Amino acid sequence: MENEEIKMSESESMLLITSMINKAKNLYGETGLFYLIWGWVILFCCLTEFVTGHFFHNPKGNLVWLLIYAVLIFQVFYIRKTKRSRRTRTYTREINSFVWLSFFICLMLTIFICVSFKKYELINPLLLVLYGIPTFLSGIIIKFKPLLFGGIFCWTMAFISPFINPEYHVLLSALAVIAAWIIPGHLLRNKFKSEMGGTNLEITNGI
Amino acid sequence: MEFKELDPILHSQLRLAVMSLLISVKEAEFTFLKEKTNSTAGNLSVQMNKLKEAGYIEITKQFNKNYPQTIGKITPKGILAFENYVKALQSYMTL
Repeated sequence: MENEEIKMSESESMLLITSMINKAKNLYGETGLFYLIWGWVILFCCLTEFVTGHFFHNPKGNLVWLLIYAVLIFQVFYIRKTKRSRRTRTYTREINSFVWLSFFICLMLTIFICVSFKKYELINPLLLVLYGIPTFLSGIIIKFKPLLFGGIFCWTMAFISPFINPEYHVLLSALAVIAAWIIPGHLLRNKFKSEMGGTNLEITNGI
Repeated sequence: MEFKELDPILHSQLRLAVMSLLISVKEAEFTFLKEKTNSTAGNLSVQMNKLKEAGYIEITKQFNKNYPQTIGKITPKGILAFENYVKALQSYMTL
C-alpha cells in the first residue's frame, strides 16, 4: 500500500475490510505455558500431600502448597515483563484474563472460608467446582474443546466427591488438573508451535 | 433506495485497512499495522495522523526497553464512522 490516497470501488473496499479483519482474527496465540506450569505444580502438590499423609501419616505434607506462592510471584513477574512487548491487545485476551482473575479471587475466598469454619473436607470438592469454571469458559472464549471438556471433567470430579472418602479427594483434584490443564496445555503448546511455523502469530502470556 | 455518502476519510485504501485492523483488536502497535497493511512507515504514519485528526483513532507513544513504541486504538467516534461506512457500502452494493 504505497500510494497514500488509493481510491477503491465499493466492492474493493468490502474485500479490503474482510481481508484485514481476517488478518486480525486468531491473534490470541495461546502458548499453553501457564496451563502447563499450574497443572504440573498442582499435580505435584496433590500427590505430595496424598503420599505424605496416606503413607507416612505426616500432616506437614500440606506445606507443599506454599509452592503456589512461588509460582504466583513468577507469573506476576513474567506477565509484567512480557506485557509491553506484545504488539496487540485483543478483547479475547482481556476477557480471558479477567475470567482467571475472578477464579483466583474466588479460590482464595473459598479456602479462607473453609479454613475459618474448619470445614477442611470441603476444600477439594469446592475447588474442583471452581477449577471447572475458568477452564470451561476459556475453552469457549478461545474456541478450544479440550479445555471445555477439561472444565466438565472438573465438575464431574466435584459431583462424585461426596461418594468418596475425603482422604482421597486430593487424588480427584490430581486427576482433574491432568484432564483440565496438563493435557489441554500440551495440546495448546503443540498447536501454537505448529501455527508459529506458518503464520506470524504472537507469543502471548495467556494463562 | 437512499444513497449514503462514503466517508472520504475512510474511503482510502490504507486508512480503511488500519481502521479494519483496529476495529478487530483493542489496540495495536505501529509495527503490527505496518506489517499487516504491507505499507511503508512514512505513509502509515501520515495516514494514521489523518485518522487521529478526524478523531477516529487515538495514538499513544510509550517506551519498551528504551525503544519508542506507537500504539493505535480506535475511538467511539471511529467505531461509529466505520459502522456508517460499512452501511453506506452495503447500500451501494445492494443496488
